[in-house]
Amino acid sequence: MKHEITRRQALAASAGCLALTRCSLVGGRQPLPRVSIVRAGYTQAIYDTVRRMLVEHRVDVRGKRVVIKPNLVEFDPGTTINTHPMLVHAALEGFRALGAADVRIAEGPGHRRITMDLADAAGYFQTIPHFEDLFVDLNLDDVSHVALRDPFSRLKSVYFPNTALSADLLVSLPKMKTHHWVGATLSMKNFFGLVPGSVYGWPKNVLHWAGIDECIADLHAAFPRHFAIVDGIVGMEGNGPIQGNPKPVGVLVAGKDMTAVDATCCRIMKINPAAIGYLRLAAGPRRLGEGNILQIGEPIQRVQAPFALIEPWQNIRA
Amino acid sequence: MDVAFIMSLQNHDGGWPYQKGGGSATEPTVLALLVQSAGSGDPQSTERGVAWLRATQRQDGGWPPRPQVSESTWVTALVALVPREAMGLSHHAKAIDWLMGQTGRESSLAYRLRNKLLGDDGGVVGKHTGWPFFPGAAAWVTPTAISILALEKAQRYQMAGEIPHRIEMGRQFLMDRICKDGGWNYGRPDVLGVDADSYPETTGQALLALHGVPSSKLEKPLAAAREQARRCQSVEGLSWLQLGLQAHGIAVEDPPRVFPCRHVADTSLRILARAAMGGRNPFLESA
Repeated sequence: MKHEITRRQALAASAGCLALTRCSLVGGRQPLPRVSIVRAGYTQAIYDTVRRMLVEHRVDVRGKRVVIKPNLVEFDPGTTINTHPMLVHAALEGFRALGAADVRIAEGPGHRRITMDLADAAGYFQTIPHFEDLFVDLNLDDVSHVALRDPFSRLKSVYFPNTALSADLLVSLPKMKTHHWVGATLSMKNFFGLVPGSVYGWPKNVLHWAGIDECIADLHAAFPRHFAIVDGIVGMEGNGPIQGNPKPVGVLVAGKDMTAVDATCCRIMKINPAAIGYLRLAAGPRRLGEGNILQIGEPIQRVQAPFALIEPWQNIRA
Repeated sequence: MDVAFIMSLQNHDGGWPYQKGGGSATEPTVLALLVQSAGSGDPQSTERGVAWLRATQRQDGGWPPRPQVSESTWVTALVALVPREAMGLSHHAKAIDWLMGQTGRESSLAYRLRNKLLGDDGGVVGKHTGWPFFPGAAAWVTPTAISILALEKAQRYQMAGEIPHRIEMGRQFLMDRICKDGGWNYGRPDVLGVDADSYPETTGQALLALHGVPSSKLEKPLAAAREQARRCQSVEGLSWLQLGLQAHGIAVEDPPRVFPCRHVADTSLRILARAAMGGRNPFLESA
């Protein structure tokens, strides 16, 4: 199914959201962002866990259009590259239970164009009833041109999929992983999958030349109506995001502020969040401080699990 | 799914969408037209499709991936595969000119000089010139393979100039990017010194572009492609492998399991792979 919006609507929505974001960043004292850490496993209990997390964060989606963006990259049965389908299904059911008018799952893998086949191999068809009817391949979706306001990167504008632009809430559902180019890939980096391959190619190499950290920060600013749930039940350490090794942590990390969610994930991974370039750009080092994030649920120290880092990234160890 | 399915998805403006209900886009339109050129096409549908392509050509001679995009990209190489008599000689010639002006950013003098100053020999990066998906980015396997095929068709009419040299450079680019397992992925045989796996779809595309290269130089890639075809779980991947292997005289039968076709591109590729196995390969036939 497609969400039809006009280019004018897309531009107006994006411009308004960008303005609001910038205001909140430079405005007066804001309440501390809340980030929850909850122990979880890939069991039936995850459905209740996710629903409770959404309630705890007062995510109001009544009558709204929600787009869930998992991390679906490649499939290798020997490791854990993709967001687990059970978590995606639990989020889908959770948002439906909270009264969302429409919930879609959408992704645009960066290297492979056989998105549905990847989803099949990763177990999405098997786990999520009517998956094919719910899923939008963002690489092939119709697009609109969006100007970036005060971009960090060299990009002045980006073509985005209309499904993402028309979402009332975009939910980043990444895997907790190390990343060979940016140190760690979490809820913010997951938005690379919003950039359409049909325009930019496979890989979306334009973003690399424009500055990866800078583009991540720009994508974060371009989609301010967001929520994040990070799949840290089994993450990936070492040479992520594809060739690393499974790292069991047993947690989900969630919140409305993606910089705060990612900073918390970094602490769980024993990575210094201020050493991650895109987090510094998007939040500034002060907002990344542990004292500036209201942690709820499990204390970080109790779930902390140092992720192995490849040699070029040893300096980000906390 | 068959030609009738493809025809049924043609938009009122003459182009084809990636998916049912979507706006017309260049890539699926070209693939649908290639399907029609491979046989059993409807002349009126073809003319409407070609008219849509002619109308969306940009001033610079290239094509955008969609009319909403104000940039010519790699899909120009795909359009240059459409029979030039149908497209119109001037439209085709401008497309070839645009294509000849494109190179991967990593092979630019500035980038190579920068690497040299940093003491980085770059490995295979920048050694031979390929084509990018998007202007200003690096060259990758898919756009390079499709551009080689387009220039090969064009050189039957335009022998002058740099075309043979660019084809040869493009082929060398592909040979540089073979993964350790013998196939191709998007174009990185290794990442930070760790070998990367190849993919069926890009392996098939590269082999298609390397048709005519002696099989003695491609023993490992051909073996890898055969093995990938045996294990492949994707109709798009399998179709490209069949097209690539057929270009080297190797027929690969369909597996017992039928993989679903889901959109215009994979359905078209399925039909084109079957046509190639029947002796008609529109990627290789003269323009």
